[in-house]
Amino acid sequence: MAAIEESGGSGKGDGKVRGKKMSTRVDMTPMVDLGFLLITFFMLATTMSKPTSMSLAVPDKTEKVDETEPLKASKVLTLFMGANDDVYYLDGIAADDDKAEASLKTTRYGYDLRSVIFASQKRINAANPKDEKGNEAFVVVIKPTPVSTYKNMVDVLDEMAITKSKRYALVDNLTESEKKLLGDKIEPKN
Amino acid sequence: MAKVRPKKHAPHTDMTAMTDVAFLLLTFFIMTATFKSNDAEITTPSSISQIKVPDDDIMVISIDKEGKVFFGVDAKPVRAAMLENIGQSKGITFTETEKAKFALQSSFGFPLNQLKPWLNMPKDQMPNVKQPGIPVDSTGASELADWVYAARKANSQLRIALKGDNFAKFPVFKDVLSNLQSQNINKFNLITGSEQAPAGFTNE
Repeated sequence: MAAIEESGGSGKGDGKVRGKKMSTRVDMTPMVDLGFLLITFFMLATTMSKPTSMSLAVPDKTEKVDETEPLKASKVLTLFMGANDDVYYLDGIAADDDKAEASLKTTRYGYDLRSVIFASQKRINAANPKDEKGNEAFVVVIKPTPVSTYKNMVDVLDEMAITKSKRYALVDNLTESEKKLLGDKIEPKN
Repeated sequence: MAKVRPKKHAPHTDMTAMTDVAFLLLTFFIMTATFKSNDAEITTPSSISQIKVPDDDIMVISIDKEGKVFFGVDAKPVRAAMLENIGQSKGITFTETEKAKFALQSSFGFPLNQLKPWLNMPKDQMPNVKQPGIPVDSTGASELADWVYAARKANSQLRIALKGDNFAKFPVFKDVLSNLQSQNINKFNLITGSEQAPAGFTNE
């Protein structure tokens, strides 16, 4: 491949025999080939995007908790994580209320759920004053069911971060009235 | 009449600049490379969280899509010490070769009684074995809890990260949680992929 160089020094004609001057040019092509081969390998073998992490703190089970006033249902949005990425929710109503069955609605994760949370947050915070500690009245109770997945849980926790709902609780037991209300929606299907 | 022809030259490009660029890129990729680990295939959900997963002093509990639980610790000395700790508490003695082989595994999913046969396999066969997962149950006193205890005994600075598959069912996660809570571990990281926050979202 290397270009043939014209022999130098022919025009001088002083009769001395000189060593031919060798070209100092090195053919770089194989080196470039090797370089790009290695680049390709490292590019494919590298994971570029580092995973992020959400921190999750759960209440201490061993700690004695003082009896507190039960939450008023009117301040609570309850989310039930159902199967097939469905979310059932009760907005400001308790599961043992007579009208609960009529007001149980279904939504999907993502934008739909976010709109539900925002609407409820706005309504409840407007209707109720902040408490003495300056916390907003709006509380979300998240109830996973046996048919929900880990992704669902992360999605809901993510929505909490997006909607800036500071007060939320992950409660993993359903009450009798809730079980009755949800019925076969939360039965595992095989 | 002889025509004047231009002298024919072999086409020759100067490759030096190209080599420079190639090796610059190569250096960059070598420096930043963190290799994909061939652990259990887990696709994590994504979140808008911006917190990076710490690189060192971390133990990762993974849940795959079938609900099998895997356990891994980042540093090799800690892995060996952890194996020794659990051997002591369960009355199992591990040989030096078993420890050395165990220290090379970034994560594993075997019940204690199946661990020894796995460690005694030839090295090249070890990745081919289907791992059954570490037993976890809701009582909070299963083998996973023992492993977590052994790991924390080996390195008390360990942080705990949970890495779940998109389709892992919630009850498995709950069992893992109860295993951790039984040891009074109430704060951990959930490893997720990163995603763009929706428009209009501001971080306060």
